[in-house]
This record gives sequence, C-alpha cells and structure tokens, in this order.
Amino acid sequence: MAAPEPPHLWPWRVGTIAVLAVAWVAATGSGLVPAVFLPSPADLWDSGVDLVTEGYKDRPLLDHIGFSLLRVFAGFGAGALLGTALGLLMGWRGWIDALFAPFIEFLRPLPQLAYLLLLIIWLGIGEAPKICLLFLAALPVAAVAARDGVRRADLTRLAAARTLGASEWQVFRHVVLPSALPDILIGARLALGIVYGTLIAAEIIAGSTGLGWMIVDAGRFLRSDRVFVGVLIIGLMGVALDRLLVLAEHRIVHWAGR
Amino acid sequence: MTHTISRRGALGGALGLGTLVLGRPHVARAAVKPPINIGYFVETKPTNIVKAQGLLEKATGQTVTWTEYGSGAEINAAIVAGGADIGFGSGSSPVAAAISQGLPVWLVGLVDNIGPAEELTVRSSAHIHSVADLKGRKVATPFGSTSHFRLLGLLKQNGLTQKDVTVIDLRGDAIVAAWSRGDIDGAYIWAPAKSKLLADGGSVFKTWDKLDAVGYVIADTIVARAGFAEQQPLAVTALLKVYGQALDFYRTQPDEAAKVVAKAAGVSPDVAAADLKEYDFISLADQLKPDWLGSQGKPGKFAEVLHHTAEFLVEQKSIKSAGPLATYQKAIHTEFLRQALA
Amino acid sequence: MHKTPLAGPVACLLSACSVAAALATWQALAASGAVAPELLASPAQVLSALAEILREGYRGTTLAHNAAATIGRCLTGFGLAVILGVPLGLLMGLQPRAAAALGDIVQFLRPLPPLSYMILLILWFGTGDGSKVALLFLTALPIIASAAMAGVRLVPRPRILAARSLGAGFWQVVWHVVLPSALPSIFTGLRIALAAAFSTVVAAELLAATDGLGWMVLSASRFLRSDVILLGILILGVVGMALSRALLLIERRVVHWHGRA
Repeated sequence: MAAPEPPHLWPWRVGTIAVLAVAWVAATGSGLVPAVFLPSPADLWDSGVDLVTEGYKDRPLLDHIGFSLLRVFAGFGAGALLGTALGLLMGWRGWIDALFAPFIEFLRPLPQLAYLLLLIIWLGIGEAPKICLLFLAALPVAAVAARDGVRRADLTRLAAARTLGASEWQVFRHVVLPSALPDILIGARLALGIVYGTLIAAEIIAGSTGLGWMIVDAGRFLRSDRVFVGVLIIGLMGVALDRLLVLAEHRIVHWAGR
Repeated sequence: MTHTISRRGALGGALGLGTLVLGRPHVARAAVKPPINIGYFVETKPTNIVKAQGLLEKATGQTVTWTEYGSGAEINAAIVAGGADIGFGSGSSPVAAAISQGLPVWLVGLVDNIGPAEELTVRSSAHIHSVADLKGRKVATPFGSTSHFRLLGLLKQNGLTQKDVTVIDLRGDAIVAAWSRGDIDGAYIWAPAKSKLLADGGSVFKTWDKLDAVGYVIADTIVARAGFAEQQPLAVTALLKVYGQALDFYRTQPDEAAKVVAKAAGVSPDVAAADLKEYDFISLADQLKPDWLGSQGKPGKFAEVLHHTAEFLVEQKSIKSAGPLATYQKAIHTEFLRQALA
Repeated sequence: MHKTPLAGPVACLLSACSVAAALATWQALAASGAVAPELLASPAQVLSALAEILREGYRGTTLAHNAAATIGRCLTGFGLAVILGVPLGLLMGLQPRAAAALGDIVQFLRPLPPLSYMILLILWFGTGDGSKVALLFLTALPIIASAAMAGVRLVPRPRILAARSLGAGFWQVVWHVVLPSALPSIFTGLRIALAAAFSTVVAAELLAATDGLGWMVLSASRFLRSDVILLGILILGVVGMALSRALLLIERRVVHWHGRA
C-alpha cells in the first residue's frame, strides 16, 4: 500500500464497517434472516469462543491454523522458488521457454479441483498431495512472472555489460537478475495469493486437519456460524500474510535498488 | 415464494456486496404446473428406476428436474436454498442433522434399511480380526455420512477413540484410490467403492448386526422441503406412488430392473444386480408399520433412530443440539405414504 | 525485448517435441502397468473416451453443451466483475474517501479462498447458476478493483492537473487521461482475474451442477472413470489457455500504445 492515509479519512473507514455491522445486527436481530443463512453476532461470538477454548474435532484451533500455514508455506516456498528458477531460465534461453511454456500455460488456469483425485492416486493421502497441489498452483505464476521480468531487462545495459567483457553468468547475475527482481516479487505475491486461495481445495483431500477442512466439515452440517468464523479467520490471515510479503518486498527492493 | 424473495433481498442488501443483482429470484411460474426439483444420487437402487423411466413425469405431467448430489449434506443445503424440493435417498444421519437444526425438512418415506450394505472393509493382509486390532490403523469414510456414524459408533462401543484409530475423511472415489496405494487399512463405505475394495484384497469385517442391535440403525430416506410438501402434496404422493411401482418392478423382475439401474449408474448389469441385493428395500406398506415410520398418532421406531443419531452428532459436536424425541416424530409425515397406498 | 524469443517455427517445433515426449512418457507409464488402468488411463483410452463422448455425450450431456456451460459461467462472472470492478477501482483510486470506505472489504475478499464461502453462496443464491456466477464474480472482483485502483495511482498527477487547467471536466479527465494510463495495470489485473475465475470454475460446479466441464470431471471421479477425468482435465486446460490467449489479444488491440507512452 502507498503512504499512510490522512487522518481525516478514518471516519469513512470506520463508517463502512459500522454500517455493515448495524445491517448485520438488524438483519439477524429482526429475525428476517434465519441463522442458517446468516448467523447473528452473538452466535458468531459463541462459536468463536467455543473454537478457541474447545478446538475443533479433537484438535485445538491453533493446530488447525498451524497445519494450514505450514502447508501454505511449504507449497508456496517450493513453488515460488522452483517457479522463479524455471522462469529465469525460460526468459534467458528461448529453447528452454519453448520446452516448458506449453506446460506452464496449461497448468496456470487449470482448476486444481479437477486433478485432486489424480494427486491422491499418485501421492496418497498424507501431506504430500496437499502440498503438491499448492506447489502446482504457485509454480506457473512464479515462472511466468520471472520470465517476463528477464525479458524486460534493459537492452542497452545488457549490451554494455557484454562489451565490457562480462561473462554470461556475470551478465545474468548483475544485470538480468536485478532488473527482473521487481517482477519476481510481484509474481511471488501473486503466487502466495493463489496458493492461499487454493488452500481449501488442498485440505479437502483426506482431511481431518486445517482451517480449510474445518470450514468444509462445518459446511456439511450447515453450521453457518462456524463457516463464518472460519471465513473470518482465513480472510484476516490472508490479509496479514499479504501485508507481510509486501513488507518483505519493500525490504528486498530497497536493498536491490542500491 | 414471496417470502423467499424478500428474505434474499433483505440479505443481499444487508451484505451490501453488490451481489444482489445475481440473486436469482425464485419467481413462481405462471403455469399451472410448476417443475419439481429432485435431488438424488446416482446409485444402484430402485430410486434410479424412477428417473430412468420418467415415471414421475408421466404420473404428474409436470416437468421434473433431476439434480445429482454427492451427499445428503449437500441435499440439505439445496433444500434450505430452495433448489431442491425432494431429497431422494438422503441418509438418516444428514436427515437427523437437518431436523435437529430446525431446517424445513419433512421425512415422507424410506428407501432402504442399509443393514449390511454399508460395512467395514479391511485389508485381508492387515490381519484385523477384532475391533482392538484397528488400533493404530487408518480407516477412511466420508464424514457426515451414515457410514461415518456407524464407524464412530463402532469405536465408541468398543471403548476406542479417534486417537486410537485414525479416521480419515475421504469420498468413495478417493477411498478406492487410497486403498489401491495401500494408504489405508480399512474403509467404512458402500457400493460401488466397497465392491472394488473387496475385489482388491479386502474382506468384510462384520459390524452392522451388533451396531443395529444397540441403536446404530442407518437407513436411506425420502425427504421433502416443507414448503413444497405443503404447496404440492399431490406431487409428493405421486413420487411415493411411482417409487412403489419401481420397487414392485424390482421385486417382480429383478433382472430387468438391474439392467435399468445399471444403465443409469453406468455399471454392468451383474454389478447392479449384486449391489441391489445388498439393500433391504422397505415396501411402502411396511414403512407404515411400528418398526419404521408408524402411523398417525402412533409414531414408529424410526423417530427414535433419528433422535439417537442426532444425540450422537451432538456428542461429536457436529451439530449444536438435538431436540426431544417429539421433534423427530413431528418431522415424520406419513400422510403422503398413506395416500400413495390408498 | 532484448532477445527475440526463438523464431516462431523453431519454438513451435520444440514445444511440440516436449509435448510429444510428455505424452510418450504418459503412454509408457500407463502401459507399464505400474498404476492400475482404472486409476490412470492411457492416452489411447482418453482418445477413445473423447470419441465416445463426441458421439454420445457424457451421461446424456454433449461435450459442446458442457464446455459452453462452463465457459458461459466463467465469462458471466468475470464480465460482471469487469463491469463493476473497473469503475469501482477507478473510483477508489481517484477518491481517497472511497478507497478508505471500501478498501478493507476489497482487501479482505482478495485472498479469501472461494471454496470457503461456497456453501454460503448456495444458501443465499440457490442451487442454480446464480450461486455459481456469484462465486466467480467474487473471485474476480477484488483482483480487478485492486488493479484498477493501482493503475490510477500510476497516472502522473501533472497530466491530470494539465487536463483540468485546460478545462476538462471530471468525466473527461477519467475517460481521456486516467483510463488510458491505468489500462495496462487494469489489463494485468484482468488477466490474473480471468485465470483465477477459471481455476475456480470446477469449485463452482462442485455442488448441485447438472452440466459443465467441472461437473463432468467430478462426476467421472465418482465413477472412477479415469479416462474421462483426464480428458476433462485436458479440455479444461486447453479452454483455460484459449481464454487467456483471447484476453491477451484484446489487450494488444486496446493497449497498443502501451510501451510507447
């Protein structure tokens, strides 16, 4: 996000949330909307307290959150690293691009739920298929971003480095990589968002742990209160993760800028 | 209907998401005969004969929309959303959950007593001979299903918890995949997955008779959305009537019926015939007996089954609370069955 | 572009070779019997499944119908998100008050896994196409709105001021100054949003669907028809690629001046 917002804007921010909250209380309090469609704030609070104190299905809430975060980090980390490496190579050498581009382009918009069963067949029901699903979600996004970043490298700087006698590796390391970095970081942020958005699909596989599974399991019994609490937690965590990555991005670009 | 619209409208406005435009208003057709939306399962049962032969369409002259669902829980959601008028084959567990939560669901008939059709299958090479042998093993079942209910009942009856046995949430197709890899040692499931496990080194670990005796009876049912049953009682009666015809067809010509079912479910007639034999389909007349739904003023035992199931679901913390027995007795509406038999 | 990516024909040949190699590996794996044929169909079986489905449809629904249903849902949800998201994002970019009022909601929605609120959408919008389109709409909307907002922030202030001083009204400024400068960013957002919406389309068809490519794959999963599952995945992938390509073409037409600015 850009500069901190001027103080005179906070009423607008708080105002929207207040309007939403009032509408929510009014809609549920009046009995106009049954609890199964929209749980009341009190229901939500009770459900939240219950989840925090009692956990969900034999596990504390923190365990579920932890499982989900671990999966996200593992899938995102592996996918972003490998994807970026592959993307750099693809941008650097046209023949590598030609070899891998069809798969990357195929994989990128492919709905993850479609190949869920295949992952179970190939990787079983443990952590492997879940992380692999997230990995496959992150990989093409990171690869495409890195490739485009390399391709955007400044022609004149490249030529200058070459005439100065820099080796291919030196050109890559000192010219191409720094100029591709902003794109790589944008790609990483995008990949994290996509991995996070795929979390539920991953945890549908042989579930019993994780926030995503908790929401699915609660949805089965139309426990809208728990679904809502789950959505709130998962949404706020998503915002926090995104902010964290932006922070890291600023640090890295700041450093790279020098 | 107008109630539905205003509720959705208020909701959409309250959320202020701008998604209101997408809210598909359920405007009642001006036509005399509105369509009937049936939620069903593709399975090897006489229920699929009704669809395959267009029996309900012929009997009512109304348009019938058949939508396939993956579980009774999904049908519950569809009924609440107004997208399904009938749940044709919902298991007793999701139905008990729905009634406990005060959802507008009426139980209007039964399909089958599941009995041995859903059963624990264990890998023969795993040497599981007693329930205690399940300790430390992985057993899969679709969560929220009747099989899940039975499996948890089995553990409870034998003093085991989910810390002793790893219970994994898998759908039928995933169970077959996980089994073929050797990832699970057992599964509580129904056909066609069950038959595939048995063909692939599995053997039946009989649990159902003892569980039935202590109250873990499971059955498949026919449920109706309350509003639909009130507005179109004749359609509900007609459905039960044609289902009775399908049952008779199966009783009198089992081979022919198996062929129809096989085609509907995409399996071979032999498989369909074998699957059909697993279930104890309850005739409409028997459903009115005290052992099942009972008659008006004399509620049958099935309300107790639902009540017990609901209490178990509360214990599992799947639902918040169960009602008293009367809640389940009130949710069972036998008048449609009586009219279908009249 | 500092280096011409390989000339067209060569690149195509190489791509074709690698795809062929992948198919051969698949065929060999399926033929080796390491995986039960029930769980992994061979390319030949997938081809015959395709022939069968083209001939008779899948369980009574033609392939064209399923593809049209899926593409239709995807484009409707995405289209609505464009219609609402672009103006919303522009407004948020131009009006700090709007950004303050709506920013939190957009930020919250953006990383939210669509499957997490699927059940709520079913309850609210019914089991028909309404809930499915709403899911795809909500997937695409925050991405598009954020991109449009970011695009506005890239518009050089002096340009707006210059247009203002030349007597341009608010709408003229938006149309002639802000939108053109923000377009590249908007299109980046559209590309991401379309991919996100398309990858959510199977989730949309998870529940209460009677047609669609996602429905076909999920229904085939239930019956362990691995030939149909693989066929469905291939078709979904190709359709997804085609949609991305189509959007890219539109982008090249609309933003042809990008890079010259």
